[in-house]
Amino acid sequence: MKFEKHCLWALMALGAMLPFVVQDQYVLHIAIMVLFYAILATSLNLVVGYVGEFSLGHTAFLGTGAYAAALLSTQYGWPIWATIPTAGVLAAIMGFIVGGITLRLQGPFFVIVTLSFAEVLRLVADNWIALTNGPMGIAGIPQPELLKEASNLAAKQFYYAIVWALLALALYLSFRFVHSNAGRAAVAVRENRYVAQSIGIRPLSYSMLALVLGAMLSGMAGGFYAHYISFVGPEVFRFAFMISMIIMVLIGGKGTLVGPLIGALLVTFLEEYLREAKELRLSIFGLAVIAIVLFLPRGLMGFITQRREARSSAATSLQSTPAADGRPA
Amino acid sequence: MELLPQYLANGLVTGSFYALSALGLTLILGLMRVVNFAHGELYMLGGVMGWWATTRLGLDFFTGLLLVAVVMAAFGWLVDRLLIERIRDQGEEPGILLTIGLSIFLANTALLVVGTAPLKVEAPLSAGPVFFGDIVLTKLRLFAMGVCAVLIFAAWLLIHKTRLGRAMRATFQDPMAAQLAGVRTANVYAATFAMGTVIASMAGMLLGSIYSAQVSIGGLVSMKAFVVVILGGMGSFAGAICGGLLLGVVEALWGGYVATGSVDIIGFALVILTLVFRPYGLFSKRAERA
Repeated sequence: MKFEKHCLWALMALGAMLPFVVQDQYVLHIAIMVLFYAILATSLNLVVGYVGEFSLGHTAFLGTGAYAAALLSTQYGWPIWATIPTAGVLAAIMGFIVGGITLRLQGPFFVIVTLSFAEVLRLVADNWIALTNGPMGIAGIPQPELLKEASNLAAKQFYYAIVWALLALALYLSFRFVHSNAGRAAVAVRENRYVAQSIGIRPLSYSMLALVLGAMLSGMAGGFYAHYISFVGPEVFRFAFMISMIIMVLIGGKGTLVGPLIGALLVTFLEEYLREAKELRLSIFGLAVIAIVLFLPRGLMGFITQRREARSSAATSLQSTPAADGRPA
Repeated sequence: MELLPQYLANGLVTGSFYALSALGLTLILGLMRVVNFAHGELYMLGGVMGWWATTRLGLDFFTGLLLVAVVMAAFGWLVDRLLIERIRDQGEEPGILLTIGLSIFLANTALLVVGTAPLKVEAPLSAGPVFFGDIVLTKLRLFAMGVCAVLIFAAWLLIHKTRLGRAMRATFQDPMAAQLAGVRTANVYAATFAMGTVIASMAGMLLGSIYSAQVSIGGLVSMKAFVVVILGGMGSFAGAICGGLLLGVVEALWGGYVATGSVDIIGFALVILTLVFRPYGLFSKRAERA
């Protein structure tokens, strides 16, 4: 827990320093996307990593947030300070509805029904032209007043600050959730549903809490995305988004708070770097995913914690005094 | 209302195609519990190879179908022994991720090799219309329905009447007990996956001769197949057929009377409703497994 906390502080501090060091727009854009994906991966991790149910419908919340922010700012002229939290609240409500229906199911059924929800929303966004403008999407989402005069670089820095703050919020809430009684109860459900039930934990309420929290965070990320890209179309519900998120969580290591951050960093960079390989890009990406499942089943963080545990247990057995337990190795 | 019989007929034809394309997934998802996101890509490979066999190699349809079946059986066997076997019994997550990786790889590699254009598989007979009173169908579609029925029946026979089928049923009831009784479960798993692959690819080739084989079709096919398998209840052949027919008919009616744009919603709405009211599928007798 301490190691995790230190890692989070260090990563966020590094993130905070970045815009002062880097003055390049392209690098800042990549950094913004990394932080954006880190929020999504963190929010997905709450469900996949701590409740242990494999949700493939997280784009439903992302898309709800993005469309909410886009509509509120284009139709009603709401400023960005209002749209992002509202997007979060609406996505949380959506999470409550979806969770109420899906969380009673487990295993493959849960996987497919969550996926169905995302697909239904995508088709609604595609067909409800009066509201969503159909496949054309909503373009020209207004930029904040503040940025009217600002240069492109300053705009990037502004958005970087917002996404950094959102990620900090996401990590803070996740940390508080994971290390609370509710979080421990959720982990108990993940490890063994029947045992958890037998000691009085109601699986539905804790998994619902995690899902609603995750939905709210990804809805806020969606709201941010709408403003930053200034265009929202039905693609936000696409399965491709979902694939990126899942791969990030699993590469980094599900059930750890640091893992999704590292996953987001790795995948975003991998996708950018593989651009050089042009058409081969996605084929290589597919192979990389297969290799990770086979050779790194617990993700990078899982691998590192395993090493640390092995080291510290080796150290304690060397000293062979019970007092050495608990001291950081 | 005078169009109703035609809608129903169209729905039944499409429905039998859905059933056929989902049959492979019934085996892989329903029995092996691998949530196979590469299912659509296996279907796509069947169509693309069928095109290659019939137009490039100049084989006739049935020889081509046989060739596709043999090659894809070997492919499925290898995929199971080399990839799926390593993540067996680890829950569904690794399987999902693995098959997503596989589907990304297969779809994009196929894209590099044959491109995006729709490919026409040479059909075994002409596409002339057939009239039943007011209802119009094409010969080709009736033929495809016939092949569907034969394939489904053959798969059923294999599972219920052969030694391999007995070993399969034993393995999926209780792998440990099956192993103790001398069943080589690794081979049974591989055979099941290969069988699912073969059925999916044959469906791809057959339907490629009616519509066309397209590299990018995989995702859509996977989704429809998931819908059908969930509707029918996991691992039940009769369920998959009913699920497919139900989906086809409801989609045809919705498309005919309500709106064509939103037809794809129907399947997902059906799945959500089914799982709300009958959490283990419409026709499933399975109780919760601890």
